[in-house]
Amino acid sequence: MSMKISIIKPGLLSTVQDMGRYRYLSQAVPVSGAMDELAHRLSNKAVGNDDNHATIEFTYADASFKAETPILISYSGDGACLVYNNELMPAEKPLFFPAGSIIKLIHNAIGVRTYLAIAGGWDVPDVMGSKSTYLTAAFGGFKGRALQKADVLMGGAINSEVSIRILERLINRSLTYPNWRISRESLLPEKRQSIRVVLANEISWFDATSIISFLTNFYTIDRRSNRMGYHLLGKPLVRKVKKEMLSTAVTPGVIQVTGSGDLVILMADCQTTGGYPRIAHVAAVDLPLCAQLKPGDAIRFSEISRDEAEALYFERERDLSLITTAISLKYIKT
Amino acid sequence: MNEQLGYLGAKIPLKIYGLSEKSVTITFGTAIDNDLLGLITNFNQLLLQNPFSGLITTVSAYTTLTVFFDPLCVMLSDLPGEVCFEKVSSHLNKIAQIERGKSKVIANKMVIPVCYGGDFGRDLLTVAHANNLTETEVIDIHTAGQYTIFMIGFVPGFAYMGGMDTRLSTHRKEVPNAKIPAGSVGIAGNQTGIYPMETPGGWQIIGRTPLKMFDVNRLQPSLLKGGDMVVFKAIGIKEFNAYAEL
Repeated sequence: MSMKISIIKPGLLSTVQDMGRYRYLSQAVPVSGAMDELAHRLSNKAVGNDDNHATIEFTYADASFKAETPILISYSGDGACLVYNNELMPAEKPLFFPAGSIIKLIHNAIGVRTYLAIAGGWDVPDVMGSKSTYLTAAFGGFKGRALQKADVLMGGAINSEVSIRILERLINRSLTYPNWRISRESLLPEKRQSIRVVLANEISWFDATSIISFLTNFYTIDRRSNRMGYHLLGKPLVRKVKKEMLSTAVTPGVIQVTGSGDLVILMADCQTTGGYPRIAHVAAVDLPLCAQLKPGDAIRFSEISRDEAEALYFERERDLSLITTAISLKYIKT
Repeated sequence: MNEQLGYLGAKIPLKIYGLSEKSVTITFGTAIDNDLLGLITNFNQLLLQNPFSGLITTVSAYTTLTVFFDPLCVMLSDLPGEVCFEKVSSHLNKIAQIERGKSKVIANKMVIPVCYGGDFGRDLLTVAHANNLTETEVIDIHTAGQYTIFMIGFVPGFAYMGGMDTRLSTHRKEVPNAKIPAGSVGIAGNQTGIYPMETPGGWQIIGRTPLKMFDVNRLQPSLLKGGDMVVFKAIGIKEFNAYAEL
C-alpha cells in the first residue's frame, strides 16, 4: 500500500529534505538538507524510519494537506503545530489518519521550521545521492522546487519492521496514536538563546575587545536570513589583520565576519567556499537551535573547546541511538 | 612570495585546523600559485586513493584542502589519537609521507568552445573599449590563453580560473544583471569564468559555451574540477547550435 497526500496550502516555503548531500561538495554542490537536523531525525524515528529518510520541511505555519490514503505520519519542530478537527496533535509520536483527513499547520510562536515524516519516507528521486531540495539550482526534492498547491506526494515502500508494526497496531477507521512519545525537550538545552561555539582559525585576525564583545553581547537575527545563512545585527567586530583572505571551504555552522564587521552564520544551503575570515563555528549540537531562530530573536555566543564540542556531539548521537532502540523494543520482541 | 607550509619536506607536520566536528582543513601555503595547486591536487589524489575509515569527501581551494568525515566512523577506527581531530590528522600526516615522485598528477586539459559576441556576449564591446582593443583582438587574446582551475565554488560547477591575460582586465558591472544565462563566459577584474547555471551576476559577458558546465545526470556533474587546465576555442553560431543539439 502506497501512502499519499495532496497539498491544499503549501505555506511560505515547504521543501523535501533529508540529511544532506555531502559527496559533491568539491563540485560546489551545497550540503542542503534539513536545517533542524534534530527535529528531522526525531520525526523520522517516531514512524520507524531511518534518519536519512526524506521529510517535508515547513517554514512557519499556514499550510494544510489532505490524506488521500490512510497515512502514518509524525512531526517535530517549532514552526507549527499539527491540528486535525480542531484538535492539537502531539509531536514526536506516530499519528495514524484515515483517508480523507485534512490536517492543518497552525502557528507556533517558538520557532520557524517543522518536519513532517511519513512511514517509508517521502518518495522523490535521489539526485547525487540525496533527496534534499536545492532551490538555487532547482534540483533535488520534489521536482527541484518548493511545494505548491495540489502537489501530490507519495510515501516510499515501508521496509522497516518497526514502521510495519506501528502501522498494524494503529490502523483504524479514525485518528489514533500510541501513548508514548519521544521527549525532544530532554535533548535541548534549557537556555535556547545561548549558542555554544568553537573559536575558528582566523580568531587572531580580530582585536581582543572584539572577541570579548562577540562572546558577551547579544546579537539579533536580521531579516536577511534564509536557508543559506543568517545575518546578525549587533556591534560590528574590528579586525586587526586587514589582509584579504583567499577563499577556502566552509560548512554549515561557520560564522563569517563580513567586510563591515557583521556576523553571518552559514546554514544548510550555504556556498561550499567562502572568502570572509571566520571567528567561530556553532557546535553541531546547537545548530538545530539556530535553525529555529527567526528575525528579531536575540542570541548570545558562549565558547567551548573543540574537544567539548566533539564530546557533546557523541553524547547527542548516543541519546539518539537509545531513542531508536527504545522505540524498536516497544514493537519487536527480541 | 608564497610561503609553503609543511608537507614539502614531508618531515614537518601538516598545518591543520578544525573547521567543524565533521571536517578539518589543511593549509599548504599562503598565496595563489600553480605549483601549490599541483601539490594540493596531488595530495588530494593520494588521500582519495588511501582513504581512512569515515572519509566522506574533500574540497580543494587556492591554498587549502578540507577533509569531511563521519565522526562516529573515525572514532571507531584504530587510528592513533583520543579525538577525531588527532585521528584524522595522524592519517593525513601519513599521507604526506608517501613518496610523491611516482604519482605525478597529469592535469586534464579541457577545450571549451565559445561563441563570442552578439547576443551571447553583449559586453564584448565593453571589454574591448575598456582595454583599447578591437572585439577580434579580445577574442584572440582570450583564446590564446591557457587557464588553470584553482577551485570550484560559488554555485555548483563554477570554476575559479587563473591565468587570464591582464590586457583583458575589466571592472565588474556596477549594477549586476538579474539573470545571466547558463554557459555565459565572463570577465571580472583579472578573472574569467563560466556561469554553469542561470544566476544573477556582475561579470562582463563576452560569449557563451554550448557545453553543459553542470549536469546532475552525469557521473561527475561538474565538467571542470580543481587542477584541470582549460583553453577556449572560438566557434560560430552554426557550430554552437550543433553542439547544443547534442
